[in-house]
Amino acid sequence: MKFLKNTFAFVVPLTAMLLSFIIYLFSSNILENYKIKIANDYSIVVVTNTPLIKEDVTELAGIQVEKIITLQKNAIIDNIKSNLSSSSIDLLKKKLPHFYKINLETFPTTSQLETIKNKLYSNKNVRKVEIFSKNHNSVYLLMLLLSQISFILFSIITIFAIIMISKQIRIWFYEHHEKITILKLHGASILYSSSTILKYAIISSFISFFIVSGIFIYLVDNIGVLLPNDLENIVQVTLALNDSLTKIFLLSFGISILTIIGVLLKYKIKYD
Amino acid sequence: MINAKNIYLSYDENKYVIKKGNFSIKEKEFIFIGGTSGSGKSTLLKSFYGEIPLKHGELRIAGQNVFGIKGKSLRSLRKDIGIIFQDYKLIKEWTIEENIMIPLKINGYSNDISREQATKLLNHVKLSHRLGYYPNELSGGEQQRVAVARALAHNPKIIIADEPTGNLDDYSAEVVWNLLKGANEQLGITVVVVTHRVPKNFGIRFRQLSIEDGIIYEVS
Repeated sequence: MKFLKNTFAFVVPLTAMLLSFIIYLFSSNILENYKIKIANDYSIVVVTNTPLIKEDVTELAGIQVEKIITLQKNAIIDNIKSNLSSSSIDLLKKKLPHFYKINLETFPTTSQLETIKNKLYSNKNVRKVEIFSKNHNSVYLLMLLLSQISFILFSIITIFAIIMISKQIRIWFYEHHEKITILKLHGASILYSSSTILKYAIISSFISFFIVSGIFIYLVDNIGVLLPNDLENIVQVTLALNDSLTKIFLLSFGISILTIIGVLLKYKIKYD
Repeated sequence: MINAKNIYLSYDENKYVIKKGNFSIKEKEFIFIGGTSGSGKSTLLKSFYGEIPLKHGELRIAGQNVFGIKGKSLRSLRKDIGIIFQDYKLIKEWTIEENIMIPLKINGYSNDISREQATKLLNHVKLSHRLGYYPNELSGGEQQRVAVARALAHNPKIIIADEPTGNLDDYSAEVVWNLLKGANEQLGITVVVVTHRVPKNFGIRFRQLSIEDGIIYEVS
């Protein structure tokens, strides 16, 4: 009973932290998928006097340029060549400006597209910039906000969890103080003396990991529980189970071990 | 085995509990340290296993200088010593067998060897019928016998005992004295005992030190 009570006080904050982490995993994955889904729903066409040096345009409005595609002029010439002589066609070929289509790595917001336009116009060789886009802005920004809120929430809960876990470890040290003292008097190291506490922490971390993993696997298979049906056409969850479980495992044990080391060092400084 | 040169011990800077302590304890000796209550007997004993740091002087235990000792050196020193306390200091949630196994496991012995040695020692202190019991299920005398068995378990160079019979009835006290005499005579372990009452007709050679107002005297 005492063991259960002891581990419960450790498991609850750790589980809360891991749950907030999986919420963050879901929200960031939904955002990533949405970005991919809408990634091609915009088009930036640039018309320049001289050939565009692609190496000079690597980033626009803080977004990496994925690729710059040169648009062939032949299609334009083909449309009008029936009315022109071959010499006029040659001249036209020389006189026509250069056309490019720019693809970005992530979907730009409306304000970013405006910044991109201005940035491109700052190049004197750019004659015209045309941007065509569907307006995903509000949904995208809402998802971005959701993802950021979930990350902030996860960070705050992590801080509180670390405080509560370290408090519980300190209680364990207080409860086992006599035992630790006896073992140390016989020449044991602080790590050996506090092996019972380490055992409690490891068992608690395992319990938290299994609880949260169970919830996570269930949610991945039944995402409808988390999201309304109407949203299923808009958002998509494609979380890799193994990767996500590894992250949860590392976080669970990482936080526990780091907190133990912190309390252990404090105890060592105080009593050694 | 133990050499003290001009040692000073104190809990605060203003008042020394032990002043100018000079004494020497040879290997295989049996030593009683006496004195009135509060004279500093236990403080002196605690300095032997690094629980109270030396303020000045030089104290060598089994070849190791105790002044400023900490970390690995302190752990190594404690591994050479068997300690018996007046209040037994047994771990309540462990069986008496597991308590005896403590110094063995700390010294790196396997679980099987430690358990085998613990069983032998329980037999030696005539408590084999209590195997699997917890300290709270034993009388004070029996608990102190377990503490003696634990102090002997890893075959230490020195046994340090702080009022080992202080809480015991005459019969239990005699059993504990016999165990300590046996450790000294048969195993050749140096034994240092703090007590305010040296037993009569002890039966083996011993030396006695006394502490009065922080000064250590040789009694006999």
